[in-house]
Amino acid sequence: MNQKMKGIITKVIFAILALALWEIVAKSGVFGEKSELVFPSLEAIGSAFIRNFTVGYADISLMTYIINSMKLLFEGLFLGILLSFLFSGLSMISKTFYYIYDLIVTVFDLLPGVALLPVVIIIVGVKPGIVVLLVVHAVLWPMSRNILDGFKSVPQIYIEAGRNIGLRGAKLLLGVYIPAATSYIVSGLKVGWARAWRGLISAEMIFGLASCPGIGLFINQMRTNMNNAEMYATLIVIVIIGLFVQYAILEPIEKCTVKRWGMSR
Amino acid sequence: MKLKKLLCIALCTTLIGGLAACGNSGSEDKGEKEVINIAYQYGLAYAPLIIAEKNNTIEEAYKEATGDDVEINWIQMNSGADINTGIASGEIDVGFMGVGPAITGVAKDVGYKIFTNLSGQDHGMMVNDNSVGSLKDLVGSDKQIAVVNIGSIQHIILAMALENEGIDPHALDGNLIAMKHPDGMTALTTGNVFGHVTSSPYIYKEEADEKLYPIEAVSKAWTNEDSFIVGVAAEAFKDGSEAQYEALCEGIGNAMDFINNNVEEAAELTYELNGNTLEDEILYLEKGHYSTETSGVVKMAEFMYKNKFVDVDPGAYEDIVYENVKGN
Repeated sequence: MNQKMKGIITKVIFAILALALWEIVAKSGVFGEKSELVFPSLEAIGSAFIRNFTVGYADISLMTYIINSMKLLFEGLFLGILLSFLFSGLSMISKTFYYIYDLIVTVFDLLPGVALLPVVIIIVGVKPGIVVLLVVHAVLWPMSRNILDGFKSVPQIYIEAGRNIGLRGAKLLLGVYIPAATSYIVSGLKVGWARAWRGLISAEMIFGLASCPGIGLFINQMRTNMNNAEMYATLIVIVIIGLFVQYAILEPIEKCTVKRWGMSR
Repeated sequence: MKLKKLLCIALCTTLIGGLAACGNSGSEDKGEKEVINIAYQYGLAYAPLIIAEKNNTIEEAYKEATGDDVEINWIQMNSGADINTGIASGEIDVGFMGVGPAITGVAKDVGYKIFTNLSGQDHGMMVNDNSVGSLKDLVGSDKQIAVVNIGSIQHIILAMALENEGIDPHALDGNLIAMKHPDGMTALTTGNVFGHVTSSPYIYKEEADEKLYPIEAVSKAWTNEDSFIVGVAAEAFKDGSEAQYEALCEGIGNAMDFINNNVEEAAELTYELNGNTLEDEILYLEKGHYSTETSGVVKMAEFMYKNKFVDVDPGAYEDIVYENVKGN
């Protein structure tokens, strides 16, 4: 049995054990008389999962909420990644910009997006763009930190070699810095994606637009109405989307770049 | 390898055992206990609870009735939904929340009923454009209206006002935007939303702003005479200790009497916690309605069920409140 197959089997066995553990806890009623209400069984969550898509909330299927969230997420993710490349790249071209941007990244990476909400409302106004901005905030700083660290780790000899063949400014960045820092960039993408996904759900749970309802708002509605099985089923949807992006998008990118080039095992 | 397997089994057993132990604390027979866990939320509408906590009104009522001591564990939580989960899991004995979440909890069989009314407050809707004077003018527009949450009491009051005007109660659902009361006030005053449905003290602050205009139908739909915040007690708690339950009812009632009879002294105790000046706190407390008698609970429950704010019928008044509660 090769290592890959062994890894898959281990993960599947762990998932089955975790589900079995959940079912044992749910069926044993350890959370008191109303255990089923606060800790529903897998059957209840399974049927709620289907109900979320067929009935939904207020006659709107969960699919609509997912589509709305994904639109905002990808807008924010795209903008965040673009800006992190732009600013990190500029930091390598100008030392002054680097000093300022390094300070900005350090400061803003510490601030939770939802804590900035009152300020963001005043600046941006009340529209779906506010969620996009919070996603950008979630992605930009950790992604920039990774890219900057990647750029700083490029051996001086590579940079000198690039300069010797006449690369300067943006050309040096594209020809030397980015290829040499790819493992950091891919790692930044993974962190950025996870932060963006969590940032989106948090923002939607606090700031719910009825005209553009997202997954966070759906979870809030389910909590408010004590529909806990539906709420857990929505969390499973979040996990499924996260796993899909991890294994269907990010891993192939990693495989085609850093692993193929021997930069990572 | 054998050691690894043994470690895995030990880990799983510990996890199961740990979870079971966690659960047992919630499912154990309550019986006569020394501590009452009371969960509440933040704000002016919960003022009687600050009085009850500071003046030990529940402890004193219990001591007078039984000669024994009881400890109150006051827990501040963020939402009625969290309190509902806490009561359902057996960790909270008594909770205070909006009448809407309380009705939802009863309908969903969380295992509690209303044991007292706590307060009624003024509610209303303010807009930042005087060309719109009624809800009819807003239907079909894309003007945004802030409420604290979709499905909150403010949302339900707006829906009631719409129905009173002969309009579909959900006609403005697409215009709603959920944000906390202070954020909603900021968004309204800066022109980032068109309207804000809110409750005291924010409604008073917005009414004092000359650039904001009221939509009268909303404030009339649910007045300060109607129940806004209610207290719920777990059935297991009530059945487990009649003496503690009676002390709880008496202690909360005494706290309300204190506000009604000594508003200035009450304000001295509450104004710092509520973040108001003493003068404002006195004014706000005078405008509130503090009574143990419920008002409009059945009307609210019927409206919520009819308009799908709750998907299970909460039932009649007797199904929602305990036998000692007066009102409608």
